[in-house]
Amino acid sequence: MLITCPYCGPRDVIEFTYQGDGNRERPQPASQDLDAWNAYVYDRLNPAGDHNEIWQHSGGCRAHLRVVRNTITHEILSTAFARGGHKAEGRS
Amino acid sequence: MAEQQLPERQSPLEPDYHPGSHGNFEHGVDVILSETRPGSILQLAAWPGEEKRLIEIIRKVTGLTLPDGAGGGTSSGARAVFGFAPGKFTVVDEAEGLAAAFAGVITPAIGTLTDLSHGRTAIRIAGPKAEWVMAKFFAIDFALPAFPLGAGRSTNHHDIFAQIQRTGADQFDIYVFRSFARSFWKALCHASEEVGYEVQ
Amino acid sequence: MSPRRTETGGCIDRLRTIRFTFDGAPYTGHIGDTLASALLANGVTLFGRSFKYHRPRGLLAAGVEEPNALVTVLRGEVREPNIPATMVEIYDGLVAVSQNRTPSLTWDIGAINQLGGKILSAGFYYKTFMGPVFGPLKGTRFWMFCEHFIRRAAGLGKAGTAPDPARYERMNAFCDVLVVGSGPAGLMAAKAAADQGARVILADLEAHFGGSANWSGETIDGMPAVDWAQRMAAQLAGNDNVRLLPRTTVWGYYDGNTLAALERVTDHKEVAAKGEPRQRYWAIRAGTVVLATGSFERPLVFPDNDRPGVMLAHAAERYVNEYGVLPGQRVALFTNNDSAYRSAVALKEAGAAVVAIIDVRSDVTNEMRRLASDAEAELLAGHAVVATEGGKALTGLKVQRFDAMSGSLSGDERSIHADSLLMSGGWSPTIHLASQAGAKAEWDPARQAFLPPKPTQRWIGAGAFTGSFSTAEAIAEGRAAGLQAAGGTASSGPLPVVEAAPGDSDPAPVFEIRAKGKSFVDFQHDVTAEDVRLAHREGFVSVEHLKRYTTLGMATDQGKNSNVPGLAIMAEALGKPIPEVGTTRFRPPYTAVSIGSLAAERFGDLKPERLTPMHDWHIANGARMYSAGLWYRPMIYGLPGETVEQAYVREARATRDSAGIVDVSTLGKIAVQGPDAAEFLDRVYTNMFSTLAVGKARYGLMLREDGLAFDDGTTWRLGEQEFLMTTTTANAGKVMQHLEYFLDVIWPELKVTVTSVTDEWAGAAIGGPNARAILAACVTGTAVDNATLPFMGIVHGRIAGVPVMICRLSFSGEMAFEVYSGAGYGTRVWEALIEAGKPFGLVTYGLEALGTMRIEKGHVTGAEIDGRTTARDLHLDWMLSKKKPFIGSAMMDREGLIAPDRLELVGLIALDNRALNGGGHIVEELDEANPHDSLGHITACCYSPALGKYIALALVKGGKARHGTRAFVSDPLRNRFGPVEIVSSHFYDPDGSRMHG
Repeated sequence: MLITCPYCGPRDVIEFTYQGDGNRERPQPASQDLDAWNAYVYDRLNPAGDHNEIWQHSGGCRAHLRVVRNTITHEILSTAFARGGHKAEGRS
Repeated sequence: MAEQQLPERQSPLEPDYHPGSHGNFEHGVDVILSETRPGSILQLAAWPGEEKRLIEIIRKVTGLTLPDGAGGGTSSGARAVFGFAPGKFTVVDEAEGLAAAFAGVITPAIGTLTDLSHGRTAIRIAGPKAEWVMAKFFAIDFALPAFPLGAGRSTNHHDIFAQIQRTGADQFDIYVFRSFARSFWKALCHASEEVGYEVQ
Repeated sequence: MSPRRTETGGCIDRLRTIRFTFDGAPYTGHIGDTLASALLANGVTLFGRSFKYHRPRGLLAAGVEEPNALVTVLRGEVREPNIPATMVEIYDGLVAVSQNRTPSLTWDIGAINQLGGKILSAGFYYKTFMGPVFGPLKGTRFWMFCEHFIRRAAGLGKAGTAPDPARYERMNAFCDVLVVGSGPAGLMAAKAAADQGARVILADLEAHFGGSANWSGETIDGMPAVDWAQRMAAQLAGNDNVRLLPRTTVWGYYDGNTLAALERVTDHKEVAAKGEPRQRYWAIRAGTVVLATGSFERPLVFPDNDRPGVMLAHAAERYVNEYGVLPGQRVALFTNNDSAYRSAVALKEAGAAVVAIIDVRSDVTNEMRRLASDAEAELLAGHAVVATEGGKALTGLKVQRFDAMSGSLSGDERSIHADSLLMSGGWSPTIHLASQAGAKAEWDPARQAFLPPKPTQRWIGAGAFTGSFSTAEAIAEGRAAGLQAAGGTASSGPLPVVEAAPGDSDPAPVFEIRAKGKSFVDFQHDVTAEDVRLAHREGFVSVEHLKRYTTLGMATDQGKNSNVPGLAIMAEALGKPIPEVGTTRFRPPYTAVSIGSLAAERFGDLKPERLTPMHDWHIANGARMYSAGLWYRPMIYGLPGETVEQAYVREARATRDSAGIVDVSTLGKIAVQGPDAAEFLDRVYTNMFSTLAVGKARYGLMLREDGLAFDDGTTWRLGEQEFLMTTTTANAGKVMQHLEYFLDVIWPELKVTVTSVTDEWAGAAIGGPNARAILAACVTGTAVDNATLPFMGIVHGRIAGVPVMICRLSFSGEMAFEVYSGAGYGTRVWEALIEAGKPFGLVTYGLEALGTMRIEKGHVTGAEIDGRTTARDLHLDWMLSKKKPFIGSAMMDREGLIAPDRLELVGLIALDNRALNGGGHIVEELDEANPHDSLGHITACCYSPALGKYIALALVKGGKARHGTRAFVSDPLRNRFGPVEIVSSHFYDPDGSRMHG
């Protein structure tokens, strides 16, 4: 499987670390809403099909990426920096 | 800053650094391996949006102009610079003390400076079979059109993280973590035996 | 010249003789020969014994699909089993032996299995190894004992036990166009793509490019096809943008057009050059793949179709035309399609007598009749072979009238004398890679074959692979595929002109001749047509189940010959058409792949070594090293005759008595820099860092998001916006990723850079009552007295002329300092400290003494922060700030994490004065026979020189409430039982007076 890092270009999946479901939303740091925290820490979507995922290019530029991947075909539909702002320096 | 003369640094490769020709060199040496031992290896990072200012600072301090685009870089004799991550650059100088030259100019509004002069080991591979040997380690395309002169790449060989800059048509400078350097060096020598190599 | 070698023809060099042995007997062959062709030329007909029945077997094929002639190649002590003799290129000194025979190939005791054919039928292993379900042998060891012999009787070659000294390598390659297969289609594709300027890789599993051109006997552009192929290959070799990979099997097609290939670099050489790998594993990322993998000829299924001398028709053609070897003198052919007629002519031209062509079809075209007469062969149309005769070599066969529509036989049997029977059951495109790439094969009724699926990845098919079996079609499709793959459209002139024998490869839909006797479908796994039907009778309807139950197609050849005939027989049994039965999906690898090639350069210890700057000093000074993750760290610096315990006790005692020094360079170090660095640390750590003064350090604790403890360490504030975080050695990478994740994904607005600087700094921790005096003796540029360097203070100075950073902190519980210098100066500073310590009896100590002193102090490490413990469990709740949220703060007070019965950190003292073991359990009541009711377990243990006792840290239910009580250690694995006293984990100097000085 190849993932196209917006900075480094297409690289083998072994250079990347899966960093979890990209649909999770972290509650405000001071939030005491345990249900929300529970959902954030433990609930995962695990769809059969297109999935929002976070991957880190740990064996490359180390940026975290938002990746849309089809969990059935492994097709990567899109990749983008999780942290915005550096787009000017990225590959198009 | 008045730097007093510092003693020579110990190379992590020392016991396994054997100048001379090795491997299958009877038909000629196809790669030359060396530790370049630059005095300064710096990491410069710009906050998002501040990249251009940082690139300008690099130009002023080192005289090196970074080309546009991810992984762009350039080198000239004693100095080299390349991008290795979004907003991050490696700057190398043969001489020690480059950090001091940047210290005042990279303000908190622009980004950060991290001195890695001891923490990274620079290994150079040069020669007609450099791409061939490099391809044994790294899953990146070393062909000139894909990896232009001066450009930098971040990649890894199993557990060994590496930044690679192309500093010649058939020459690459590899920056690895110092603690892994000897292990990587031994593997590099081993992989170079096939083509015949010389350690300088 | 060997008896079966032709006078002329073939790609072998008759002037150069190669000597080799097979089963100990010396043979000769020529350059260009495979082991199969060389032995065949020497008149060898018997190549192996079959898997289950030990039936004598000869060559079925000439290429990679050979199921029978599997050999073991020996190189010194190293043996590589199960290689098709057809894929072994001979070299001087080659030593090959046959397999699955005792004591010899000719006299094989296992052949007695042929008498027990009924027992060894489909599902034999399933049925047999369940053992008797009743009776005296039920569930006995005796049955297990029998299994050993039963399993030994069946099988292939034996793996070796000697270490393999060969070198293997991995190569990463990138190209615009990868062409798999170098027949006319592949050569045209490679040429067309290369002419467009594309970067091309052409791989072929054979030694010579050309594929069928090497043996087809056809003419291309007015020259013999083999010469045309050589010329094409030579042209390609001259292109800078083309990489030619002969002897390279592309065996896996993965996501993202990543393909795996195995190059046999030196297997055909007597000796490898220095540094030359035996095999190379190529990981190829291709823009587009051209699959020109050709096709396999299928055997026909009829009684005793496995007798040595029965061979695929094209294989015989190949032996004649490519190797100059006649497989027999009196040859008969048996076919369901036209292609065998060309083979007949080829054999005739090479000097064999073609006695008969038996064609299941009653309708044979005039063109084929003419070929038959060219071959001077009797044509028996509407006939079938119903038996073969002979022992270890074919002597004859029997034919009967056959009706292809009904499959029925009629009339009298007629005997034909022949020493070679060549069969053709039609052709199956080699669609393995396309199937691996993801889609399902499609049945083509005209071709009676599975054709490649529509591409799901970027590949284009060409030639026989697509079911276009003629060379003219292959050439046209190859060029079109190459052009398309390279993104070109320009027509590049007229296509090469092919002169070929006429004929249509589409076969009659006849796969099996049902007559009395064993009719083999899968030669390598000894699966017969009757086994397939038996499986059906026993209720197996799914093709996947059938495959596993009968083991059809599960041998090392992965059903290259048997797949379609097996399905056809299954379909007939089910009364369904073949496409409804379906085919199994092909999976990697296409052919066997050596494990060595997958391990590649990761030989020996598999992992790189991570060394501290002072590594060589440690080795030179008698350290026994210990691997901690990838790091190597001194365990002890043992004196002659000392045990490990004696050494660490001496080292720890000397440290507490005077001073000791330890290499702490492996501690994870992360530079945390930027305007928001302090704010970031406040969020990451449970305690406050924004309040930390510049030039001071603070101990910090991190939790995970779920509220459990994650890591601890000290973080030093080097500047207003600059911190140096230390982590445990083991967690350095994980903590780094944790920080990067939060900065990238959760708090992208924070202006913070995190950088691993572990390797930038060499660290030496010097501790003990005399540590400060030693420092004072060698540090310049700063004082180290209590006022200048208080507890958790940081100063900068020089040692041995190089800059150092000194932080006063303690892991040992003594007055201690961590001295950091640039890694390149690590040994220099270390030696200066050792020198300054000499008057004080400074000792070097290793991990064991370090662990001992931390246990005495009750400091936690990864053994206690084990992913299950909370800050409270470890009595670190004083570090949980109430003034701010931090990672884990919301989740850490959940019911289960504050329950009173959680395991808490305690100390243990062995009351029987014997060593305790990590992992030993703590119980209230000792019951050695039936250990139960664990209260917790030991996490770390040592002999404490400070206490003069064996002590341990443990996680025990109730924790503090049990201080001062007695319990027992219960460790049945190591038979260690005994009384312990539960105490505070702070064994030594609990008020910290020693380190605060």
